[in-house]
Amino acid sequence: MSSTEQGTSSAAPAEPTTAPESAAAPEVPESFYYVHGKDKVVHKVSAGALQHSALIHGMISNLGYTEEQAKANPFPFENIDGDILQMVVDWCNQHKGKPTPPEDTNLPKQKEKLFDLVLAVNYLEIKELLTYCCKQVAMMVKGKSPEEIREIWMIPTDAEDEAAEKEAKKRAGKEAAGETAAAAGDAK
Amino acid sequence: MSSDIENLAKQTENLSIEPIYNTNWCDMPAEIKVECIGKMELIERLSLRSTAKDERSLVDSQTIKFRKGEFRGNAYCFDASLYSENGYELSKNLTDSSNEAFEFVRYIWKVGVFENLKISFYGTAYTRKMKKYTGEIKAKNVELHYGDILILPMIVQKLNDGIESIMTYPDSRGAPNLDFNKLFAIPQIQNVPYWHIGNCDQTESLHRVAKMWIDRNSKVGCTFQIYIFADGSFKEFLEHFTERIVSKNEKRARIRTNNPDRHIILERGLIEIVDDLVEIPQFFRLMVISVEMKESEYDDNCEKWISKICPEYREENNI
Repeated sequence: MSSTEQGTSSAAPAEPTTAPESAAAPEVPESFYYVHGKDKVVHKVSAGALQHSALIHGMISNLGYTEEQAKANPFPFENIDGDILQMVVDWCNQHKGKPTPPEDTNLPKQKEKLFDLVLAVNYLEIKELLTYCCKQVAMMVKGKSPEEIREIWMIPTDAEDEAAEKEAKKRAGKEAAGETAAAAGDAK
Repeated sequence: MSSDIENLAKQTENLSIEPIYNTNWCDMPAEIKVECIGKMELIERLSLRSTAKDERSLVDSQTIKFRKGEFRGNAYCFDASLYSENGYELSKNLTDSSNEAFEFVRYIWKVGVFENLKISFYGTAYTRKMKKYTGEIKAKNVELHYGDILILPMIVQKLNDGIESIMTYPDSRGAPNLDFNKLFAIPQIQNVPYWHIGNCDQTESLHRVAKMWIDRNSKVGCTFQIYIFADGSFKEFLEHFTERIVSKNEKRARIRTNNPDRHIILERGLIEIVDDLVEIPQFFRLMVISVEMKESEYDDNCEKWISKICPEYREENNI
């Protein structure tokens, strides 16, 4: 993870960090925007890098923020873990203004982290990164048997699913009965 | 001692920073799962669909592209070879069970989209299965080998509308007479840009295909090829279209269609075959051409198009 500083809040962010950018310095001054995840760490990202995200790009286009306004109002993504957002920001910076390669080997191998990344990328609408992530997810089960896949991805069997559903129904029934009894008690 | 405490403190610090991940496959929305399934090879899809019924329905909702698919079945055995776009290969061999084999075929045809598809079904069991099959066969180029002529229209009818070429071959026992009335009534035959029949004894095939094209005002580029052992096809064609002839010589005949912009050209593939074969096949190519096409633009390299209908000729002559 690149160096970050804890932001205080979305309204008054701490000095943000700029994620490393591989692209050469632009000739014209570029506008920057600010984003933070669940951990409130604010990331400064160029508009060019953020173009990868259809969601943020749409937001930017509608806002017409000045640099100061953008700094004062980082986009809050409370549903995305800080380190996952950092990965996304890094990827957007690395691929700013470049054609995306057919493979990306820098994606996390740890399955839960990868799934979190997939959800974040899907939410942020970053099409190319989503394609890479899905490829990586598919690779996790390459050559695996149904039993192995079930284990790796914690897929419950149909019987387990049915049992869980029955249990949930039972619990819901009990809770409803409890509420009815409580309501009757109150009425008395 | 103090360094141990420092280390422990560091580790604890790291632990508290490291987020806890609970997300897994089952937390993914269906549209993401489908996207991931789209990146999987057939073998992994088959494994995934065996894990749970929800996964099965998701896997089955997605098509899978194959560069090539070959299905061969007869009364005794069945085998299939599938080649994915990424170069992976899957083979399936079954003995003595057309039921099990056809279950596999049915599933693969349901989800598969083939660049090149080869089907070689022999025996009445496969004819019966094909008769009952109601699904679509999604392929760009299809090669059909058959023993029972009844199976041919059954398969062709199930091909998707966008089919680009249909190549048909009877089995080695010979060329059974095709029911052209039945075949010409099939939209896939009417609309396919390229169709060939390998080894046919019906000399009327050429003029009947030309007639179909004239009636349907078929597009420029439509091509039909045939190799035939019986004599008389060229002569029969000329006799049939006497009033439409624009030009003719021993190699070619050009006729008018009802569309003033289009002609049909029939070409003979005149090649020397040095072989011990008792019978030498005659090769023909029929095409819808623009009325603007000049004689100087005719393709004199018949070896190239002959090798398409007759792969043995291509192999023997290194084309």
